[in-house]
Amino acid sequence: MKKTLSTLTLGLICSLTSLHAWAAQADHIKVENPFAREVPPTAPASASFMTLTNDSAQEIKLVQAYSDVAKTIELHTHTNDDGVMRMRKIDAITIPANTTVELKPGGLHIMLIGPFNPIKVGQTVEVNLEFVDGSRKMVTMPVKSFMAMQPMQGGHKCGNGKCGSGMGH
Amino acid sequence: MNNKFTFGIIFIGALIGLVMVFAPLQTTHLGNAQLITAEKPKGGDFTLTAVDGEHSLSDYKGKLVLLYFGYTFCPDICPTNLGNLSVAYRNLSAEQKDKLQILFVSVDPERDTPQRLKQYADYFEASIVGLTGTPQTLMEIARRYGVVYARVDDPNNGTNYAVDHSAFTYVVDQNGLLQQQLPHATTPEQFIKIINQYLR
Repeated sequence: MKKTLSTLTLGLICSLTSLHAWAAQADHIKVENPFAREVPPTAPASASFMTLTNDSAQEIKLVQAYSDVAKTIELHTHTNDDGVMRMRKIDAITIPANTTVELKPGGLHIMLIGPFNPIKVGQTVEVNLEFVDGSRKMVTMPVKSFMAMQPMQGGHKCGNGKCGSGMGH
Repeated sequence: MNNKFTFGIIFIGALIGLVMVFAPLQTTHLGNAQLITAEKPKGGDFTLTAVDGEHSLSDYKGKLVLLYFGYTFCPDICPTNLGNLSVAYRNLSAEQKDKLQILFVSVDPERDTPQRLKQYADYFEASIVGLTGTPQTLMEIARRYGVVYARVDDPNNGTNYAVDHSAFTYVVDQNGLLQQQLPHATTPEQFIKIINQYLR
């Protein structure tokens, strides 16, 4: 009986703490350097990039994004397979506990498919992020060009072929 | 039992078929740009169509050619690369610009008309010429340059399919010889360095 009681109590405590951890995952995500891409006139989609930092002790998954600027919003990733770039839709972007995940050109991104109007430099785009607990975070971002002149990095070395994408950060 | 056996045979057959279709050609694994050696892609001349008619690689003899294979529906990879090329181009002197030609070859002839390619190429403001041809011609050129591409059909996307493709920029020297391939996300600074090497 005592054992049952303590198990129950323990269970209750556990569920309470996990509930607490689940309280608004969106509050545990810090968003930095968000931007959307201006795309060539023929492109069927634009993309949104940003850095997501999870300051909680639990893994948080970004499961969906919403925006009024395009018909369909999807989470995507790229893989570089011996120089062959493959882009695929994914169900979630996982941000491990106390970790920063970068959404960047050539990697993870939020795809804005079928823009209702051309997405141009000078505009702002709003993207609402939804996490696995249903909490949301609205992110407002500028539009940048593929041809943004980034400062020439004096003495910057690209190691192991891992180089910037040419986007100024 | 017999059914299972037949199924197994069919399955293996299908698998072999798939492997034959999708087996990528030999591409070099590149951390950084490397010189291409004898057993690597041989490159060579080709003739494709632009808005203003046919263009051959040999038309550009005497110029350094930077060659990129992609497609206009490409949402991120191609524009990133062409954007970097464009930034590099705008940092060149007028004389260097005269001695350089950037070519964008479509691996999506079904959707990329010469007109569409021109619109796309013009966006980058680097005098890029957009080229396309028949699927057979493009496949033959791709094979010679070691370019791999495959259409990815997503039932959710209708005609908005993606194309997996090698994202190298190929450096063809003033004599039409394929010299180097540069990996995806080569920076404008690196492009400028390479261009300067060849346009000394």
